[in-house]
Amino acid sequence: MKGLLVFFFIFILIGPIVADVPVREEQFIYSIMAFNGRDYSRTFCGENSDTIYLIADQDNFITTSKTLVYYWPITGDWKTDTRSLNYSFEGTLELTEKRRESRIIYPERYTFYNVKGEYEQNWKVAMGDEADKAWQHYQGLIDEYWQATYQYEQAKMAFDLMVDELAMKITEMRNDGIDVTGLVEKLKRLGPPESPKPPDDYIVPPMPVQSAFILNLPRGEYNICFINEDSAVMESSEKRVVVFEKRRADGIGFEVIPGDKWTRPVESKRSSSVLYVNGTTDLYLRPFFQDEYNDLYYQRMIRNDAKGNPSLMNWVYIQQVPGGRIEVTKNNHTSAILVEEPFYVEQTKGSALGYKIVPFDPEGAHKDRDPSLIAFKIPITRETSLIKFELLDNSGLNMAGSSRQVRVIIKSRWQPILLVLCLLPLLVMTVVRMIRSRKYSL
Amino acid sequence: MSLRLRAAVVIAKRRIFESFLNPGYYIAQAVGLLLSYILISGFVSSIDSSGLNYMLHPLYEFIGRLLSGAFGITFLEKLFAEGPFQFVSYVSFVPIFIYLSFSTVFRFSLEKKVGAIELLAYGPVDGTSCFLAFYIKDIILTIFYLLFLILFLIMAALLNNLVLGPAFLYTLVVTFFMAMLLYSISILASVLTDSGASAMVLYIGIILFLLIVIMGSFTIGSAYVRSFSSVLSWLINWFSPFFYWGLALSFLEVGNMLAYFLILLVMMVLSGLFLFLSHQVIKIRGVRP
Repeated sequence: MKGLLVFFFIFILIGPIVADVPVREEQFIYSIMAFNGRDYSRTFCGENSDTIYLIADQDNFITTSKTLVYYWPITGDWKTDTRSLNYSFEGTLELTEKRRESRIIYPERYTFYNVKGEYEQNWKVAMGDEADKAWQHYQGLIDEYWQATYQYEQAKMAFDLMVDELAMKITEMRNDGIDVTGLVEKLKRLGPPESPKPPDDYIVPPMPVQSAFILNLPRGEYNICFINEDSAVMESSEKRVVVFEKRRADGIGFEVIPGDKWTRPVESKRSSSVLYVNGTTDLYLRPFFQDEYNDLYYQRMIRNDAKGNPSLMNWVYIQQVPGGRIEVTKNNHTSAILVEEPFYVEQTKGSALGYKIVPFDPEGAHKDRDPSLIAFKIPITRETSLIKFELLDNSGLNMAGSSRQVRVIIKSRWQPILLVLCLLPLLVMTVVRMIRSRKYSL
Repeated sequence: MSLRLRAAVVIAKRRIFESFLNPGYYIAQAVGLLLSYILISGFVSSIDSSGLNYMLHPLYEFIGRLLSGAFGITFLEKLFAEGPFQFVSYVSFVPIFIYLSFSTVFRFSLEKKVGAIELLAYGPVDGTSCFLAFYIKDIILTIFYLLFLILFLIMAALLNNLVLGPAFLYTLVVTFFMAMLLYSISILASVLTDSGASAMVLYIGIILFLLIVIMGSFTIGSAYVRSFSSVLSWLINWFSPFFYWGLALSFLEVGNMLAYFLILLVMMVLSGLFLFLSHQVIKIRGVRP
């Protein structure tokens, strides 16, 4: 009996210590590389999901494999364990649109990359031989860079050696009392070799050429299934594909960064939005272009097991608005034009924790550093009750849907008036009933 | 003016006068306004340097968790994008709506059952003018309340440096039209049944059913609930006031005012249709069960 009790207590104590290992289940999955409006996001559609979501008229890449799938309770999402099992299949994809004939899609070799431009978005997709060319071009650039780096290392070593030798010679000559002016001048004239710069043609370089089913579809609902080499439909491969498009495009949103919480920005996405603040800190604004998508579809495209509202549309950040200006009006009186400025976040000195955002000083305190933030600064005080602002484009015209207002909440001492107003109906009721009772009493 | 309508107006006047003498209307108003006050004070206390922070006030923490958990963060963001007033207007409308529609359902059914309407029908009025009177009364009292609510909210906005927001008035108008439609359903429920209790059960059942369907289509929780609800929606959306409410608000969101006003018109027509159905029912069944 005692032994049983000891065993029971050990069991109780050990229970919480031993962590739950998520159950891994072998599943057929579609790995999806979906274009999300600004870049590519990777997700997968396992057996517990019946729909794949994609944006219309964009290249999306789908591959099939058998892997281990498990639920990760900490983040609340499904994950794959491709290290333990990752078996790719050879075959084709059968795509069927409602009331139309199905068509077969064959895997294609592809790569994608983002090239430098005025905007962040310059995604290019290369397929087939073009993909090989793009990848080879990038590899060529990398090889050139490594070659230049190697040559630079050699030159640097030679330069260091030369400097050391010269320095040693100067020391020896100086010790012997010989004039070293000429050698010192020579040492001063010596310049170190310039280090090569890595190729900056790409914001995101091409990825190694891979093979996938490329789906670029118009808006609609489709069904897909994977047909293996034996011409049989793979079990659990039948899925619905929802291809959706944006409802509205090129809206203007603002990332609003409060001075005291610069790591926790909030977004103002709607032109009718009002930003209420308590007026204790300045605001830093970063305008961005945004597109409007169905909330559920977009979230599921980013992460196939995500939650979203199917009945609502939501604005999605696409890219920062380059080179705009902001017109600010305070308390409906003064208006000013603001330009984007660089700022630096400095840790507060002393025992007090925190930081402050200061103007970036590239020549002084922040030399050889990058600004922490490039934004429009809107000074906020408790006295400024209303600030209206709107974004102007390069030619000074205001951009549609970019006007917003910031209101500093001031709790009035006349709040009890509201409470009295709430109770006014009861007061009226009392008066009415008193009048009635007097009228009908003897 | 037709004789029936004249009778309805006269009865409605008496009903409105009665409502002003009874405490129910005042209490419902006070409860609605008190809810507004609590919600606005909570909103003001939830503002920090970066905007609305739900964690700062226990009520808003609860509201935030409840709404984002059920309908998603996008729903919550949209609801409070312009400030608290859209949410406040919905919440503060509930007590007066419940009072007016429930009292109509119960009173009309009761009067029908005890023969009061039959008694009136021997005179210059009929069953239709009686229920029309209830309908007119509900509308007039709703307008009174909404006007007072607007005044209250303007006052609250001025005292706290808040703004009602561009969509607020449009939202309130849609809510009013939705209420009109619901009032006409309440009348249909009361003419279809024989007693106050059964009319009440039928009406509450209809409202809950329509609410569950609309909430199901907005839910983020379960795909099963959502798909089941979307199938149901296809069947019942066409006479659901909540569906037209959602539709009008989505048109408002994209600035399609023509479609917005068209939806209001559809709501009016539908309301008329329910009243016509009630008229037909009362004509067939008579004014006494």
